[in-house]
Amino acid sequence: MIAILVDGIVQGLQLSLMAVGITLIYGLGGVLNLAHGQFAVVGGIATALFVDKGLSPLVASSLGVLTAGVFGLVVDRTLLLPAYRSAGEERLLLGLLITLGLSFVVNGYLDFQYPNIALTLHLATPSVNVAGITVRTASAVTSLMAFLAFLLLFVFLKGTLLGKSVRSIIQNEVGAGLCGINPGRTRTLIVALSAMMAGLAGIAQGLFSSLGTEMGNELTTFALIVAVVGGVRSVNGTLVAGVLLGIVNAFASYYVGAYLTLIILLGTAVFTILLRPAGLFAYRT
Amino acid sequence: MGTLIGVEGIEVAYGDIPVVRGVSIEVREGEAVAVIGPNGAGKTTLFKAIAGMLKPRKGRIVYHGLPIDGLRLYDIVKKGIVYVPAERELFPQMTVLENLELGAFTNYKSRGERLKFVLGLFPRLEERRRQLAGTLSGGEQQMLAIGRGLMARPKLLLLDEPSTGLAPLFVKEMYHQLSRLKEEGLTILLAEQQVPHALAFSERAYVLENGEIRLFGKSKDLLGVPEIQRTYLGVT
Repeated sequence: MIAILVDGIVQGLQLSLMAVGITLIYGLGGVLNLAHGQFAVVGGIATALFVDKGLSPLVASSLGVLTAGVFGLVVDRTLLLPAYRSAGEERLLLGLLITLGLSFVVNGYLDFQYPNIALTLHLATPSVNVAGITVRTASAVTSLMAFLAFLLLFVFLKGTLLGKSVRSIIQNEVGAGLCGINPGRTRTLIVALSAMMAGLAGIAQGLFSSLGTEMGNELTTFALIVAVVGGVRSVNGTLVAGVLLGIVNAFASYYVGAYLTLIILLGTAVFTILLRPAGLFAYRT
Repeated sequence: MGTLIGVEGIEVAYGDIPVVRGVSIEVREGEAVAVIGPNGAGKTTLFKAIAGMLKPRKGRIVYHGLPIDGLRLYDIVKKGIVYVPAERELFPQMTVLENLELGAFTNYKSRGERLKFVLGLFPRLEERRRQLAGTLSGGEQQMLAIGRGLMARPKLLLLDEPSTGLAPLFVKEMYHQLSRLKEEGLTILLAEQQVPHALAFSERAYVLENGEIRLFGKSKDLLGVPEIQRTYLGVT
């Protein structure tokens, strides 16, 4: 029972790492990124390629995360520009189409170019003891990574001027402009950071089991569910929703199987939208 | 006193419909100038064009002798023009202090000194400094909006309908503080529907109707114009 719970929490943290990017990119840019899973896959597959070249897993992972970040930056400064130039519903729809197209292109390219590559990272010791509970080392490492990533993100958002400007744009883009904040520049930084966090989630997948080139859409789906349940403009909500849904996912997988689990998770998202359209922890204005 | 900003024959449209037509106004350094007129006259559109939120179709906007029309909102702020819209556009889930700090985004090094100045001007904000902006009363939000604008150390403050929706006591207090700012040399361009306040506060005024300037002159002279008295001051 406790093992399932711990597994759920860890999976949830991994989901949150993905979903927080969707939340930030939507909050800042008004684009719902349907290629977010592909950011994770690009980071993970790049790590696998670096490991193949003989680099140590730690160095390869760092370079993989960086690759995902550069990929995000390029996407923001090129493909997403037409979406940013429009406003409101048009921006949302253009963003959906562009990122959906991007997800197909990335899937196709990786399948074609690297058909046999997958990321599987083996740790020297399979399990560790944390406070009397035996935990898989992969779980402990993932938790630590996610914890550090979120800690840095919160320090950035709450404690730095740039972070505060990010929050200000999410709350009121016009207000931010009135303060002299350039939303475009801040957005590029956030898309790159979000892509790096997704890359980290992709590497975590490789630690648990295996990350294949085809997994992008599945990761996007899970992340979208978490982002919607958490409230697509609330970073705190995304973190909590990720952990909650991770626990639901773990128990449901154990008792009813993986296929029904996805239905249960989607049902949770629909139910949340019906009860609280802006998400569990969305800002009340 | 030299000209700080000159609006020269601008036309601003929403789609194909021109809302501001051939408007020219001039504000000299250290002056307080009012733009008065009924709802829908084009006051906000004019202000948004100066602030860089709307691009004029025709005409020029010259600031310190250089054209600024076509610059973006955030670049205009860096030049020292700060717009405080009627909607206030605060960050509701951030504290008063965070809102003010962000106001100093272009001027962050001197935020401490600016904060002291703004909190001295509006002591009520000092009392509420840890409170979320969204929980403030209308009057307090207006003070915060003006305070946030002042944090950037503007050379020109554009105030759009600052008294809308405020209790008379708040309006009086706000104009008292605005007079202090004027005495300290801040240039203010003000749009107001509450004409008596606007004319009492400003040195000169423009009357905008249907997107065009109908009248302009010294505020104290305009107070005596029968048309103004009838339309805006309720004199029959």
